Amino acid sequence: MGANKSSLAKPSWLQALLSLLVPGLGQAVSGAVSRGVYIFLSVVTLSGLAVFAAAQRPRYPDYALSFRAYLYFLLESAALLLFLLALYWLARRYAMKTEFARNVAAPAFVAVTVVVLFLAAPQMLETFLSAAQLKKLYGMTSLLTAFVVAAIWAWNVYDAAWVRGKDFAPSMGNFYMLVIVGVLVLGTRIVQINPAKAIREYKDTGVILGQIAWPWRVAFDYSRSELVAIAKVQAPCPPGSNPPPVQQPKEGRPWVSVTPTCGELSKRDAEGHLTYGTLLTIRGGGFKPNKKVHILWANPLGNTFTPRGFGPTDIQVGPDGTFTTKLYIPDVTIPSVAKGPQIHELRVVQRGAAKFTGRLSKDMKLALEAMLESIMMGLMATAFGIVLSVPLSFLAARNLMSTLHTTSQGFVGGVIGLVGGAYLGKLAGDYLAPLVGGLEKAPILTFFIYFTLVLVLAIVAYRLLSRALDSIAERLPALVSFGVGIAGMALIGAVVGYELGLGYAHGILGITRGPEGALQAAPHTAMLGAVLGAFLGGLWAWRLGVHGTIPIGRMIYAATRLILNIGRSIEPLIWAIMGVIWVGPGPFAGFIALTIHSVAALGKLYSEAIESIDPGPIEALQATGASRLQTIVYAVIPQVMPPFTAFTLYRWDINVRMSTIIGLVGGGGIGFLLIQWIHQFQYEQAGLAVWLITITVATLDFISASIREKMV
Amino acid sequence: MLVVEHLTKVYEDGTVALKDVSFTVDDGEFLVIIGLSGSGKSTLLRCINRLIEPTEGRILWNGVDITQASEAEMRRIRREIGMIFQHFNLVERSSVLTNVLTGRLGYLPSWWSLINYFPEREKERAMAALERVGIADKAHNRADALSGGQKQRVGIARALMQEPKMILADEPVASLDPVLAHSILGYLETLNQEQGITVLCSLHYLDLVQRYATKVIGLRDGRLVYEGTGEQIRNITDEEFKQVYGQEAQRLSVGG
Ligand SMILES: Nc1ncnc2c1ncn2[C@@H]1O[C@H](COP(=O)(O)OP(=O)(O)OP(=O)(O)O)[C@@H](O)[C@H]1O
Ligand SMILES: [Mg+2]
Repeated sequence: MGANKSSLAKPSWLQALLSLLVPGLGQAVSGAVSRGVYIFLSVVTLSGLAVFAAAQRPRYPDYALSFRAYLYFLLESAALLLFLLALYWLARRYAMKTEFARNVAAPAFVAVTVVVLFLAAPQMLETFLSAAQLKKLYGMTSLLTAFVVAAIWAWNVYDAAWVRGKDFAPSMGNFYMLVIVGVLVLGTRIVQINPAKAIREYKDTGVILGQIAWPWRVAFDYSRSELVAIAKVQAPCPPGSNPPPVQQPKEGRPWVSVTPTCGELSKRDAEGHLTYGTLLTIRGGGFKPNKKVHILWANPLGNTFTPRGFGPTDIQVGPDGTFTTKLYIPDVTIPSVAKGPQIHELRVVQRGAAKFTGRLSKDMKLALEAMLESIMMGLMATAFGIVLSVPLSFLAARNLMSTLHTTSQGFVGGVIGLVGGAYLGKLAGDYLAPLVGGLEKAPILTFFIYFTLVLVLAIVAYRLLSRALDSIAERLPALVSFGVGIAGMALIGAVVGYELGLGYAHGILGITRGPEGALQAAPHTAMLGAVLGAFLGGLWAWRLGVHGTIPIGRMIYAATRLILNIGRSIEPLIWAIMGVIWVGPGPFAGFIALTIHSVAALGKLYSEAIESIDPGPIEALQATGASRLQTIVYAVIPQVMPPFTAFTLYRWDINVRMSTIIGLVGGGGIGFLLIQWIHQFQYEQAGLAVWLITITVATLDFISASIREKMV
Repeated sequence: MLVVEHLTKVYEDGTVALKDVSFTVDDGEFLVIIGLSGSGKSTLLRCINRLIEPTEGRILWNGVDITQASEAEMRRIRREIGMIFQHFNLVERSSVLTNVLTGRLGYLPSWWSLINYFPEREKERAMAALERVGIADKAHNRADALSGGQKQRVGIARALMQEPKMILADEPVASLDPVLAHSILGYLETLNQEQGITVLCSLHYLDLVQRYATKVIGLRDGRLVYEGTGEQIRNITDEEFKQVYGQEAQRLSVGG
């Protein structure tokens, strides 16, 4: 607010009043139209966002309430702000005599304002709203934004009083600061930034984070010595059955003896009440003294579980290696096909200390394999990216393409040739493809045949017809050939217009009228498009004049750039999702995604490298009569080798990085394993994957940095 | 014979670089183009081999109108016309030999370049050309390892590979010291006198012009303002000098 007032004597009250009514209006009236528009739009946008964001608290937002609350808060804020500003003005006027005091006045005012605002906030919230209404809003967000908007409003009134169009425009620093504060307040709410939550819940995640941070225990295999003793128990125990014999102690070996060896299972009824079965007395011996044994129950199918809740399951062994305990026969779900008495097993297990074997665990091997898969995926995508992007980059280099011109007759011949050649290529392909087995039996060969035929015939026909029409046009009288050019361009325009007309019917009209309405409208829009296209095409040729040329190189350049930009602005993860839809999950999908993105990114980088080369050698080679291809090989390529290598390394780096996470969406590699482990709550294994990714990326960073250093 | 008729060049931004320029160059002539910076010398030379598209006028090269030539015809015409540049325009990262070989590209099939193939006899021809300009020992060095004078000799060797009937030289010695300047222009003079190669050369220093030219044209703001023989330029009057270089210009060196 420290505008230089001395340069203009008087504030303009009218503008200030206008801006008080509509923010920015006063500025606009003074001639600072864009300034006024900025102010107005920021007030409206901040307010709209505040109403929206504050209402998001319940599942069904009450926007009317939110809007009302925001208006209350705006009034309250304005009142508070005016009060504070009045105090500030009084203080400056009467209290602050020293220079120091005047220097710190503004920051102190801001600090006091913030403190007062937060102290007053609870009262301000409750002034107009009931507790129930407050529950339906993020009141604090609404209030704080309202305060910021009130401050902007106040600033805007003051600003309107002093702005004089272009002649005198004070700094907008305060305005920008306020807008930024408003956006930060809203952003905190919309992003749901909640430090309290992060702190509160750290304790629960601590263990898991620890497992991820140091997972190396599961990277290796361990061997454990185990002492096991088994006793058989029959259940149920109908009279006349033949229960297993009672085990007797054995010298020098672990043993366990259960009495009785026949009894009833515990039962749980529909409400979950438990009726205990037979109580077993268990004695055992021959175990390592003074250590614990663990009791397991094995059902008739051999599945074991710890019978928790039916007696102690971890028992201390005495100094002589024996123990005694009691256990109810647990409730065991038995397959319904099993009828009559079944033999269960009671197992007593004493685990020794785990011994490190030095072998990698199964999970570690899996992770390493997946890591390799990722690295190779990144490598392959880079390799294919280079091969495909180099030709594109030449088409996307302005300096090479802008010299390419054609006459309108040549252009017409070329387009006809291109389309006709491509069609001939397709016909030839239709004829040849069945001979090699067709798309089903020999997909690659078939694709290759079609691709080559279409491409080669299109290019050949393009050149032939383009030249033919050119030379015919040269022999004709100038006006006649001019007419031919106009007619041809009109024809091309008509065809393009026709297609665009069809597209308009289906793509645009179809949105409101549905597919049937679109079908009905299609003939009319297509005809209209054709007429319009013919007119525009003819007009273009007419404007070119008799000797004019069409900058076909620039057109190819623009089209290639457009394609590259689209390819680049779609993230690799999204390409990966499309890849998964196309070829199913796995590294191939990831490879496709990374390759497409690499082609687009490298194509752009390469073409920029080409654009920045020294044009001298190109000129020199052209002057010797070298063809376009020769010029590229001997003047362009040697110059772009260093930047191409640098960009390729850089891309390789990015691709390996991306390949480690592209599996998150099904693209194969280690990311695939990582997300599976996380979903199965195997955090230590997930930690292994995270570590491997980190190590790989760091190593790669180091390698590519040192290669790059050597090259410079 | 080269006949330039009513040549005009207007750049896309509207700059008129040449305005209705006409002159004739006989075979075997050493024609020097003089004029201030920005007077259109480079534009004129580049119009002759159509590195720049002329806007209007005709350029007849042995009776063929260059301005109307098709792409294929242009290739054949260009390979008969060598060009030498002020900044040499060598491919810095390629070897000297490769740079010289590129002068022959107009005679070789395009697709050979895809496999980087040059026949043995072309390599011998390139060595012979380097021999003639005295730097055969540098054949396998990279071009960026050469001094300015050596680079310009590579430029001449590259032009020689074309077996040119005419050489266009755009300020070939402007980046070189006076001794080197004489040595380079000496090569051009030898070629001109021994093989009858027509030379069109733009030069800045009047003493060099007077020493080498058999014919001189002067440009000013894109217009032809002076035309004379070697004899006439050696006795150029103050009047004529000011016509080319402007009223405020001072003659620094007289005679030659
Ligand atoms: N590509 C271009 N686009 C627009 N104007 C150009 C272009 N090249 C040159 N000109 C202009 O054309 C005029 C003639 O330029 P030209 O380079 O032919 O002069 P020059 O006599 O060779 O000068 P110098 O002695 O400095 O090389 C100048 O005014 C220049 O600014
Ligand atoms: Mg020049």
